[in-house]
Amino acid sequence: MPPRARVVDHPCAACRTLRRRCGLDCILAPYFPLEDLESFMVVHRIFGASNVIKMLQEVEESKREDAVKSMVYEARARLQDPIYGSAGAIFHLQRHVQDLLLQLQLTRATIMDFQDQRDQLLSTLMGPQHLDQPSSMTNNDGVLGHGSDDILLDDSTLGYNLIEFPVDCELWQL
Amino acid sequence: MTVKGGTSQACAACKYQRRKCSADCQLARYFPPDNPRMFQNAHKLFGVSNILRILKNLDPKKEEEAMRTIIYESKVRDRYPVHGCYGIIVELHCKINQAELELEAVNAQLNFYRQQQHHQMSQSSPPPNHSPPHLQLGNTSPINALPLFQQHPHQSYNDMASGINQQHNSLSNGSNGVVYNRNPEYVESKEGIVNSFWVPCNNSLATQPQFIATQAFPIQQVPEAPQDYDEMPVFFDTADDRQSYIESKDAYESSPESSLKDTKQPIEQVAENELKSAAAFFTLTSVN
Repeated sequence: MPPRARVVDHPCAACRTLRRRCGLDCILAPYFPLEDLESFMVVHRIFGASNVIKMLQEVEESKREDAVKSMVYEARARLQDPIYGSAGAIFHLQRHVQDLLLQLQLTRATIMDFQDQRDQLLSTLMGPQHLDQPSSMTNNDGVLGHGSDDILLDDSTLGYNLIEFPVDCELWQL
Repeated sequence: MTVKGGTSQACAACKYQRRKCSADCQLARYFPPDNPRMFQNAHKLFGVSNILRILKNLDPKKEEEAMRTIIYESKVRDRYPVHGCYGIIVELHCKINQAELELEAVNAQLNFYRQQQHHQMSQSSPPPNHSPPHLQLGNTSPINALPLFQQHPHQSYNDMASGINQQHNSLSNGSNGVVYNRNPEYVESKEGIVNSFWVPCNNSLATQPQFIATQAFPIQQVPEAPQDYDEMPVFFDTADDRQSYIESKDAYESSPESSLKDTKQPIEQVAENELKSAAAFFTLTSVN
């Protein structure tokens, strides 16, 4: 979604907060409209305006809006939870994914048992030639069968490699 | 750059800022001099003053945890400059949704197998309700009465249902009872952010596991809790021989024993009498 065209007469939220003149070349103006003062204030409080500007300058213009949105999200997360920030949400979700993977594994194992029982029964009753072909019903690979470590480092493809947290976090002890 | 009064190296933070690293430097323990990149990332995202401000408002016991998450976020932002941690969160939400769908489908398949197995089990033992009750009453021995009662399908159906309910409960509540937010709660109030920032999953929901489309799940009618009252008289007929019931004297008198004497009694009346005696049995005796 392209950024809205700014009105020249009115400063952007960033320049209003910083109390400076909002020029035509203000890099923050397209992403911090005056109507949304709160977003810039949060980002400025956690990261600082200069850091935000530097990070935007390093990113392609087409991706700057996404970058700003993610920074606003992380800043709000850090404000709400000064200790864990948005990393806390990642830990919770990683744990949830692991739980789901385990449940999938267990359920698939139970299904395999049923299929083995059925195959044994069929082979007993009718002989080995009547055994079914390997069932395609259980998709052993599944969506997450290859694990969740997709190693795609390019932001544009939106893949990621789960970066292992360097030390144990208390969240794991929930 | 050296620490005042010592020969140890300055921390990465002080080195970067080209200042003396004092003994009480708050950041020294988190940014060792051999890993300058770690501090550069943190400085790039947060800045030293913002980091110190975050730590200032925290309990000293939580300082280490906070620094770890700050370093982690900085590392992620360095690696993924556009999306940072938020991109990972969205991706994880996608994976969770897909895994839950897959789990649902796999559970449905498991349910189908269990129903199939139950159906086979019920077919392998002849159902007792097909034979006339008055004939059953006379021929059934006490030893056979209990197994007929225990093999009732209602029991196995409950086990199946409770297993499925446990699965659903664990999905909704999390394994440790923690409720996971289905959506990033911090941006829920900003619709524009969510709409413009929606990240498509790598594996679209259209590519669901194939067994959903190819498999038809036959609906098996599981017989419910005992409507088969004819079975109960078999059990209680033998119990009546051992005990006497005050309230159900009339029912006792018209019990299956009398039906043995008079085989012309209609089956329905016998069944009704047996139901009354069965009810009396439950009220007067304790279940051990």
